[in-house]
Amino acid sequence: MFSRWNWVACGFCLVLNICSPDASGGLVQSCGHIIPESPVLALGSNFTALCILNESCLDFGNIYASQIIWKIKNRLVPKEQYREINRTVSSVTFNDTSSLATPLTCNILADGQIEQNIYGITVTVGLAPEKPKNLSCIVHQLLRFRYVMTCTWNPGRHTFLDTQFRLRYRWPEEIFPDCIPKDVNNSCTITDIQFFVNTEIWVEATNALGKAKSDPLVVDPIDIVKPLPPQNVSISSGILPTVLQLCWVNWISDAMMTLKFNIRYRIVGDTNWMEVPSEDTASPRTSFSVQGLRPYTEYIFSIRCMKEDGVGYWSDWSEEKTGITTEDQPSKGPPIWRIIDTSHSPAFWTVHLIWKALKPFEANGVILQYEVTVRDKSSLSSPVKKYNVTGTNHTLQLREGTYEVSLIARNSVGASPPSVLLIPASNSKAPVKNLRTLPKHDKLWVGWTAPNSYVLKYVIEWCLVSSSSDCIIEWQIALGDVQGIDLKGIKPFKCYLITVYPLYADGQGSGQSVKAYLKQDRPSKGPTVQTKKVGKAEAVLTWNHLTVEEQNGFIRNYTILYKTIDGNETVVTVDPSKTEYTLSSLTSDTLYTVRMMASTDNGSRTGPDFTFTTQKFGKGEIEAIVVPVCLAFLLIVLLGVLFCFNKRDLIKKHIWPIVPDPSKSNIAQWSPQVPAKHNFSSKDQMYPEGSFTDVSVVEIEADDKKSFSEQDLKPFDLLKKEKSTSEGHSSGIGGSSCMSSPRQSVSDSDEGETTQNTSSTVQYSTVVLNGYRDQTPVQVFSRSESTQPLLDSEERSEDHAGGADSTAQRQQYFRQNGGQDETNTDRPCFERTKQITHANEGDLVGFVQLQISGQSSQPLGLGMEKNTQEAAVSNVLQTCTEGQTVRPETVGENPLSVDEMPKSYLPQTVRQGGYMPQ
Amino acid sequence: MAAADSPSAALRRRDLCSRGIRLAGKMRADVVDLLDAYVEQQGLDASASVAAVEGVPLAAVERWDEQTGTQRLLENLAAYRAFRALLAQMLEEQREQLGEADAGLGRALAAVLLQVSAFAYHLEELLRLESRGIPGEEGDGPPPPPRLSLFEQKLRGLGVLRELAQWAVRSVRDLRQLAKPSSATGAAPGLAESP
Repeated sequence: MFSRWNWVACGFCLVLNICSPDASGGLVQSCGHIIPESPVLALGSNFTALCILNESCLDFGNIYASQIIWKIKNRLVPKEQYREINRTVSSVTFNDTSSLATPLTCNILADGQIEQNIYGITVTVGLAPEKPKNLSCIVHQLLRFRYVMTCTWNPGRHTFLDTQFRLRYRWPEEIFPDCIPKDVNNSCTITDIQFFVNTEIWVEATNALGKAKSDPLVVDPIDIVKPLPPQNVSISSGILPTVLQLCWVNWISDAMMTLKFNIRYRIVGDTNWMEVPSEDTASPRTSFSVQGLRPYTEYIFSIRCMKEDGVGYWSDWSEEKTGITTEDQPSKGPPIWRIIDTSHSPAFWTVHLIWKALKPFEANGVILQYEVTVRDKSSLSSPVKKYNVTGTNHTLQLREGTYEVSLIARNSVGASPPSVLLIPASNSKAPVKNLRTLPKHDKLWVGWTAPNSYVLKYVIEWCLVSSSSDCIIEWQIALGDVQGIDLKGIKPFKCYLITVYPLYADGQGSGQSVKAYLKQDRPSKGPTVQTKKVGKAEAVLTWNHLTVEEQNGFIRNYTILYKTIDGNETVVTVDPSKTEYTLSSLTSDTLYTVRMMASTDNGSRTGPDFTFTTQKFGKGEIEAIVVPVCLAFLLIVLLGVLFCFNKRDLIKKHIWPIVPDPSKSNIAQWSPQVPAKHNFSSKDQMYPEGSFTDVSVVEIEADDKKSFSEQDLKPFDLLKKEKSTSEGHSSGIGGSSCMSSPRQSVSDSDEGETTQNTSSTVQYSTVVLNGYRDQTPVQVFSRSESTQPLLDSEERSEDHAGGADSTAQRQQYFRQNGGQDETNTDRPCFERTKQITHANEGDLVGFVQLQISGQSSQPLGLGMEKNTQEAAVSNVLQTCTEGQTVRPETVGENPLSVDEMPKSYLPQTVRQGGYMPQ
Repeated sequence: MAAADSPSAALRRRDLCSRGIRLAGKMRADVVDLLDAYVEQQGLDASASVAAVEGVPLAAVERWDEQTGTQRLLENLAAYRAFRALLAQMLEEQREQLGEADAGLGRALAAVLLQVSAFAYHLEELLRLESRGIPGEEGDGPPPPPRLSLFEQKLRGLGVLRELAQWAVRSVRDLRQLAKPSSATGAAPGLAESP
């Protein structure tokens, strides 16, 4: 930096000199210079610089000190800081050097205010070095005869300047070469160390602004030695199984420094070091016998050393060496316990003897075998049985009784003391009391209150409770004077069943058990709830207990949370032993969401949501509605059945009317003389009183085969209906009255086909006006319902619109059914009357009965004269005519008078359409 | 003696004696090692007999146990001053002969030389504590040794180191004698010990 600005300044000078007219003396001649030249200034101090102009420049260029301006870098220094000392010297003063920068230039304003540089200097600002502090030294032993001393110190504040540090040391009569640090400023290493002479050591810091010297450290280097650790450490087994001997080599001579030592050791696998007491190794030595070790145990050793008087530093620990002690006989017998299986027979036991392998420090070697001795104490005469076992369990088949089992472990050196276990016939002694547990970090403390009797020892059994596997028992023996132990290896969040047995000298107490957790957590899942039964205002919820693996702790309670879609959540707490709960006071026909939460001491977990809808009706409500309805229905049905039963004949006839077959009609016999000609003997019998003398009856032979059935009586029923209806309808073609116009057709099947039948049916009817057998003739229509095709031509003209199909259907219908399955609800009374004539007496009786029961409001006199057919028929006809008042209507429809009516029984259509009888 | 009576002076004296004993012990060990290296490096026979080195008081002395402390200190100081000069000469001759070829031997000589100087300083300090005047070193020191042949130089060097080893042993005993609390500077030490 410095040289660069020098070059810059020289460049300015060169330019000025070149421009200068007074260059005769040489190429380089400056017009001025600055004093001091490149100063090093203390930070914060004041500084004054002078710019001195050359006389030659004054004469030639009219350059004077008053024209001088100062600049820091390119920044003009305020003129208040200038002072013109004389016409060739100008000074500038800075009260604080911290405002200075490099370069500081002296310039002049020549003619025309042209600024020209005269000279420039570099200014270095920094601090004087501070006094180095905290000087300390340590002598490191590098090799057997090679030592170096490293001193460190605090160099103090940063000086911003090049500062040199020197570590100096001397004897009173000898001065040694300085130690100059390389790359650092706070430490230095002296390689030529002389011991046993007090050496004065100090540090000097020097820069352009000054020099500082630390306080001297006077020390004999031998007192600050950190020696090398002992080398070639070896370990050998001693005569005793508890002793190991260590040997090593010191790398520092006694002549120079006597040493003391630290010996540390630990068992392999253990992390804790033990140390040999320091007073045992406080003297110079190259070997040491470590005592009190465990037999047959591998140890790791390490040694370090320092000056015997303790002045100086400990060496590092030597490399670790391993040694193993020799075997010794086992120090104690193995802990033994038993599990008795009496499942086969209470009188015979399967005794599983189990014992724990001795710990290494108890086995003191390799256990070669165990010797089990079983003595039956119930029978002194029984021999003692001995077993040699290499494992840690043995199974015996014993008869129920009291046994004493002793166990010893044997290694290559000897046998252990025996462990004795008394197996009594029964655990009749007092158990422990107040069994409890308490978690302690990663251990589970089990405590109990001792029984009143003296207890030899306790056996603590525990096992991990699992829903999927058997409880694998672990056990531990505690001395009789303790009332609590720590169980190790207990897993958190797992349930353990812990049982404590007290063992007495003469027996054994029964076990007391407790369940415990080392640490609890919230359940890993919540209960899955569902409904068992849902009513109108209540719901029975059921759930299964969480498995022990899912519980993670003691379930303290279950919480049921239920709500409607838009309602508040209701919370119910349930005892953890329950698996069912009934929600009451629910709203009917409402969707509920329910979930269940299981809680331990450490939290809760909620199971999945379950939804259900309460019923609209409560229990019995439906029954209360349905049963009466059903009963009513049944009653109605029953009544209907009874009604139908009573009216069965009528119904039958209504459903299966007797359809006359026109093909078998005896039209030829339709003549006025027919009543006389035709010798219907039967009819004579039918009409004994001659009341129907003039009635022309179309006799259908097909019907002859069929006697009056119950269905045949139906028209009478309908007749009554028409009677009742005709009272409202004085007349009418559609009145379906037997007194209606002859053109009025009568359906053979149902009312829906009435029109068709009307068009397709040729009415073979006439009006009988003559009296019968001297009786006053009654205006009676008689007609045939034959669909004889003889009338096709006429009918076609009348019923051309759709009538043909109906006719065809009707013809087919007649062929198929033969008039047996059809019931014409509008069947004319006379035809029915004719049918009645075929009825026997019994039928009539039934008819009369039906009339009485069905239309009691019409007290007809039929039933009074049922003994004679004549009377019955007469009454029927009378009733029919009277009841239906068909006569005036018929008359109205058919204006033919009695006198005008021909005697011959030609069909009506003959007169109207030219029908000619065949 | 007045200074010796003060507790600080006594501590100082004990410290100097202790340090001097250890220094003499280390010096002896180093000299023994150096002797082996020197014999080997110079091609000498370790059993070669060497005449007494001129200018060095003999370590073996009659009636050692009858000497006073001051006497012991003075004799030791004279001897080590002589050794300092001789070792410096040996070091110079060594450098002339071998240059930097065997820096190890030169460093060992220099280290022993420093130890001799340091021991001489200890002795001077002890003498000051005894309020005894320190004899000045003879202005021009011992007379310059005659110009010796190279072999003679090697033998003389061997003799110097052997004598230094002897003196180191004696110095340890002298300082131990001085370090005893009962030992009066001017009184004769116990008769039981002899070098």
